[in-house]
Amino acid sequence: MEATLTTSSPRFAHQSEAELARILDFYGVAWRYEPDLFPISWNADGMVVESFAPDFYLPEIGIYLELTTLKQTLVRKKNRKLRWLRQLYPEVRVKLFYARDFRALMVKYGRLDFLADVAAMNGNGPLNGR
Amino acid sequence: MIHADVEEVLLSGDEVQARVAELGAQLAADYDGRDPVLVSVLKGSIIFLADLVRAMPIPLSIDLMEVSSYGSSTESSGQVRILKDLSTPIEGREVIVVEDIIDTGLTLNYLLRYLHDKGPASIRICCLLDKPARRLAPIEIDYRGFTIADRFVIGYGLDYAERYRNLPYIGVLRPSVYSAVAPD
Repeated sequence: MEATLTTSSPRFAHQSEAELARILDFYGVAWRYEPDLFPISWNADGMVVESFAPDFYLPEIGIYLELTTLKQTLVRKKNRKLRWLRQLYPEVRVKLFYARDFRALMVKYGRLDFLADVAAMNGNGPLNGR
Repeated sequence: MIHADVEEVLLSGDEVQARVAELGAQLAADYDGRDPVLVSVLKGSIIFLADLVRAMPIPLSIDLMEVSSYGSSTESSGQVRILKDLSTPIEGREVIVVEDIIDTGLTLNYLLRYLHDKGPASIRICCLLDKPARRLAPIEIDYRGFTIADRFVIGYGLDYAERYRNLPYIGVLRPSVYSAVAPD
């Protein structure tokens, strides 16, 4: 069986994105990092004033992934952007991965050390908030 | 008696057994005369498989596979590997993949591609627990025991750090069990 893997290593904005890329590579799921930019609001002159670039696109599955592992204020902002994206581009499938989803994934894979590192870097609270 | 590390019993042993019996009866009806092979993935699925096949009074065979999981990989950039392959060819056979739980779907997505390359007549999926909240790879489930919320579940074959598989029910693991081993 052949797996289509991404060979380039982009500069990820967050450690969690790099970790998710490693997970996708591990399971042979092809991905692209921030491949598309979707305009979501325009000014009166028709100029784009706000866009949304989901973190990952999985071409074989046809879905975008957006990771949200940062502050709650940013989560609200991303939720708002995602609502606009879904209204403007209903054919685009986007899955939002919240911090709790990512934490649960790391627990499932026994990557508690990774969570501890990220929490230390971010100054976040305990591992489990649910 | 409920284990001290269990926060809540999600599905009692009786509920699990009743649903497994229903699934077995449905599979037996659908596959009567088709001599299916039930392929299960070690280790979590073995208890479900054992009960399921005993609820299927038709000719069938079973096979077991084991694949490496991401967390158990000691390499920083490894790839999933088949740790135990099928014992017999499945070319032309009617395959039922038996899974304990489908979460992200990544392992099963890999496994299905692998099995399709072996040329079976058909592949259908039977899972006891469907946890769709974090699904990354789309999986079409043909036989589903229960759909559950996004909780960390153990028991009836499901583990945390290789423990709790022998619980006769499906329970929610107390978060303190795994948060205790990770520093704040």
